[in-house]
Amino acid sequence: MILYDAHHLPECYAVRLFAALVGAPLTLVPVDVYPGHEHRSDDFLARNPLGTLPVLVDGDTVWTDWQEMLAALALRHDAAWFPAHDPALIGWLGMARDLAASLGLARLIDTFGAPGDAAAARARADVLLDEIERRRWFGERAGQVWVMPQAHPTIADVAAFVFIALCEDAGLSLRDRPALRRWIDRVRFAPGFIAMSGVFPPMTNVTR
Amino acid sequence: MTNLATGVWYAIAADHDLVDGHVYRTVLGGHELAVWRAQSGTVQVWDDRCPHRGVRFSLGEVVGDDLRCQYHAWRFGPTGACTFIPAQPQMKVPGTIRARTWPVAQSGGLVWTGIDPAGPVPDLPPGTVARAIPIARPAAEVAAALVALEGLAPVVQPLDAGTTMVRAIATDGDVPRADRVLVALRRRLESAV
Amino acid sequence: MARFARTIAHTPGCPKKRNRAAAKTRWTLRRGGLATAAMTAIDPIVWNDWHPVAARCTLDPARAHTTVLLNQPLTIAIDGAGTITARRDDGGALHQDERYGLVWVCLGTPDRPVLVIAEADEPDRPAVVVGAVAVRAAGPRVIENFLDLGHLGYVHAGYLGDDPHTRVLPYSVAALPQGGIIATGCRMYQPQASPAATEGFDVEYVYKVERALITCLYKSNPLHRDRFDVIYLFVQPVTETTSVAHPLLLCLPDGTTPQGLRAFQQTIFLQDKPILENQRPARLPLADGADTPIAADKSSVAYRRWLSAIGLTWGVIPAPAKAARAA
Repeated sequence: MILYDAHHLPECYAVRLFAALVGAPLTLVPVDVYPGHEHRSDDFLARNPLGTLPVLVDGDTVWTDWQEMLAALALRHDAAWFPAHDPALIGWLGMARDLAASLGLARLIDTFGAPGDAAAARARADVLLDEIERRRWFGERAGQVWVMPQAHPTIADVAAFVFIALCEDAGLSLRDRPALRRWIDRVRFAPGFIAMSGVFPPMTNVTR
Repeated sequence: MTNLATGVWYAIAADHDLVDGHVYRTVLGGHELAVWRAQSGTVQVWDDRCPHRGVRFSLGEVVGDDLRCQYHAWRFGPTGACTFIPAQPQMKVPGTIRARTWPVAQSGGLVWTGIDPAGPVPDLPPGTVARAIPIARPAAEVAAALVALEGLAPVVQPLDAGTTMVRAIATDGDVPRADRVLVALRRRLESAV
Repeated sequence: MARFARTIAHTPGCPKKRNRAAAKTRWTLRRGGLATAAMTAIDPIVWNDWHPVAARCTLDPARAHTTVLLNQPLTIAIDGAGTITARRDDGGALHQDERYGLVWVCLGTPDRPVLVIAEADEPDRPAVVVGAVAVRAAGPRVIENFLDLGHLGYVHAGYLGDDPHTRVLPYSVAALPQGGIIATGCRMYQPQASPAATEGFDVEYVYKVERALITCLYKSNPLHRDRFDVIYLFVQPVTETTSVAHPLLLCLPDGTTPQGLRAFQQTIFLQDKPILENQRPARLPLADGADTPIAADKSSVAYRRWLSAIGLTWGVIPAPAKAARAA
């Protein structure tokens, strides 16, 4: 499968990370979104008229929605990540899209100079982070390691992680959100985890 | 900074905040703190700042009985002494390279520290530790508002001059109720400005 | 937390050179109606120097670009003919120039031109503007991190270093005759020193700091091992504790596309960003006892001492005055 990829976008990282977690091989084609704006080129728009990254291609099949890519990869490689029977999955994936539109937007404005209202985006992200922290804290209390009740992590963990782990780029802090910090570490320590710039890989495999 | 009283124990974390390999992060009266549990079980409260180049320890991770800084992977043992410097692996690390450590006590499901804390840790009634709630108001104002709350034994942690963390023991064990009460208090105090 | 400055416009066509003629114009003084006294509080070393504020290739005629330099809000516009105009929002005076694909501004009285980079004139080294990245860190902290060898094996593991090749071998640091410092003989094993590297090799480095907020490195090229790639890092001081990094690549041809070079350099800088944003205090402390350097930190020590010697106050915590300590 070919992934048209921008290294700095959380949505692209979600697909790279998830492919690594389930052992799906990807061929990466870097697209110079910033500062090159190749996603507005004729070539790219012919591939994805929405002009968004990432794009996943497998033969004649083209995916342009990053969450759909996670589901497709899960169905192909390890369906335990995609508990389609549980309506809560819809809620969590929606929450991750809200994070993209708030935290993700504030990050692009603050760090890469994209246009928009960073303060408004940050205020919305603050509300979401507070709620996810609350759910995570009570989840931990109930013995839930991941955001969904399943014992196995799900694509919802990946979808939320890629934004929350980069929240400092958006001027947000996890200092007073300890359950989120613990969950971030749990994802980082998951077998097969890969980092992106701004997220540290675990150091424990480093020799002394 | 805020006026942090000397000789006083402050609750800065719950026991459940400290999980293996993880560095808990908080701030007490403007002093940023990294809190972690060594493999041997001892709880450490340190300045959240590597003495080498000032990076927050809470960015790093716990490896066995050591805390490792994320920047240059310097390792520090439970006494705060630096034990290993990868850039100069042959060098015997001078004893002067140390993290700044804080006093620690554990009691009532909470982790306590302070500046030269004297005497025993405050006695709390039995119950369950509720979720800590940060409130963007000064500690004195938050403490005054907490007096009236039934079924809760609150402990206040001044974060900085304008922000306060409230930890509470739910004496009836009803943690969800305690959470609703504290979150409502937060909303009330923060919107009253 | 202070609201962060918007600094980079998103426009199409970045890789193309639109207006070569405009890049050659001499710097101009632009004076508006209102002169303010706000500048009096600002360190003359940075106030009277040139700083990058935008890349030509990211300017968009459809939308003016706003940024902040030394606490002063600026608006930078480009017209359809490619003429760039930088203005202070308060109407105060500024000097403007363009070099290396970047727009440079001096808010005070420039006592020297924009830094001259000899390698930029070598015909086989196209200047590649990487794309600015804003960072919540003091400018001097960003420079110091660039000089740091000990973090390569950890923060840039798999790229610029790797455990267990983390030992920093002895290297030399000297003063540059025209001011600044130079570190020579730096060697690191690097698994992927650049996008063109197909295997790890021992990379040789030379670092220079020529101005307080400008640094560069010369680094072995994987194909031309007798010549060096040159990477500049210009730091735009936004506030004392926030900055915009403008990296510039002057690399030898090795088959890497400008897109590949940009992505690689952004990846590296974005790996440093969380470190920079978690260093305390926010301003770089210059007192000798403020931190705990070791021999591997020789260039960082020299940089801090040089900043003390020239008397920089922007983005630093100055060392307490000591009698007869000047270098």
